[in-house]
Amino acid sequence: MNRLSQLALSDEGFVFDPQTGDSFQVSETGIAVLRALKEGRSDEEVAQQLVAHFEVSPEEARRDCTDFRSQLKNFGLA
Amino acid sequence: MKDLAIGVSGINAVDNPGPGVGVARSLKEDASLRARIIGLAYDAMEPGIYMDWVVDRSFIMPYPSGDGAAYFDRLAYIREQHGLDVIIPNFDAELPLYVKRAAELKALGIATFLPSMEQFKLRGKDKLTEVAERMGIKLPKTKVCTSLEQMHEAVEELGLPVMVKGSFYKAYAAYTSAQAVGHFHALVAEWGYPVIVQSIVSGEELNVIGVGDGAGGSLGLVGIKKISVTSLGKIWTGVTIKHTAMLEAANRFIRELKWRGPFELECIVKGDDVYLIEINPRFPAWVYFATGVGVNLPARLVRAALGVDQPPAPDYEAGKLFVRYSYELVTDMVKFQQAVTRGEVG
Repeated sequence: MNRLSQLALSDEGFVFDPQTGDSFQVSETGIAVLRALKEGRSDEEVAQQLVAHFEVSPEEARRDCTDFRSQLKNFGLA
Repeated sequence: MKDLAIGVSGINAVDNPGPGVGVARSLKEDASLRARIIGLAYDAMEPGIYMDWVVDRSFIMPYPSGDGAAYFDRLAYIREQHGLDVIIPNFDAELPLYVKRAAELKALGIATFLPSMEQFKLRGKDKLTEVAERMGIKLPKTKVCTSLEQMHEAVEELGLPVMVKGSFYKAYAAYTSAQAVGHFHALVAEWGYPVIVQSIVSGEELNVIGVGDGAGGSLGLVGIKKISVTSLGKIWTGVTIKHTAMLEAANRFIRELKWRGPFELECIVKGDDVYLIEINPRFPAWVYFATGVGVNLPARLVRAALGVDQPPAPDYEAGKLFVRYSYELVTDMVKFQQAVTRGEVG
């Protein structure tokens, strides 16, 4: 099973990895990105969602998505 | 099921706690067992003696040294005077004697649920290469040394820092050759040869507690991560996890070795790689954690020891938190006097 889909994510942005017991805190934007990624959305779809909900340009949203993905990779979650 | 008198050792709930109080508490929480807990202590200061809501009656035991004759005479006395249906030994040093004399105890009417001597020896650190292979997981680079010269060669080959370990118990990190030599001598003096030298693997330290049914089946497994430990390395807070590869390895351990009885696997996990660090052939001190998440392993072990049918192993949720805490009780000095003078309390 995909590691991302296993992550437990609370409304307050607390993330728990049931495989390793690691926990993380993400911001409001992080919650939106993580929820969308857990649903299997593409980076482009996630960026569009960010543009729709936050005051952010499409370029900035794409960059944030890429950054977030690389952080997930660093933690072995993607 | 009739009332059961269950002997439990390791009721030293101190800063380096034995598993006994957690085992006893688990047994008490399974009301249908109707467990009467007999605490088997070595010292009048073991807190479990005074925790009368967990331990019903306690006895000071002779040390299980030599052939254990005095120890087993004491058990026979307890059995005769107060009944003793099952014993769960929780100290490493007791286990070889209990394993050796399990049939004798059975003849006395005292049930145990322990590995065979062959299985017990397999979990020795000098045998872990074979066991890790059978479990399908890795072992940090390991050298088994029977002389100081071999240890120097091992350190040279593996590179510092290394772990220097006794064949059954104790492990120390060595950052210099001088430290490695010091640990080597201390381990030889305490536990004899061989001494194991192992490379240090960095990663997450994850553990599994379980009980094998002796026929390759599991009576229950719970995986955890220690979030914080004391200065003695004992768990203070932890969380339940479901690391698939580690739990699969634990199931293979039970299946391949047909492990009978309780165990704790200590692992280091790095990405998808699981490294076996240690196998403890008994419950760990945090055994109550499993009970708290619905997997009452001591109660399941007792039923297995008595040959009672029970449902398949229950599951548990990942993300349950364990927090140990300090607590004090005040009681009468009479109890201490009884422990010292009569060797019995309760």
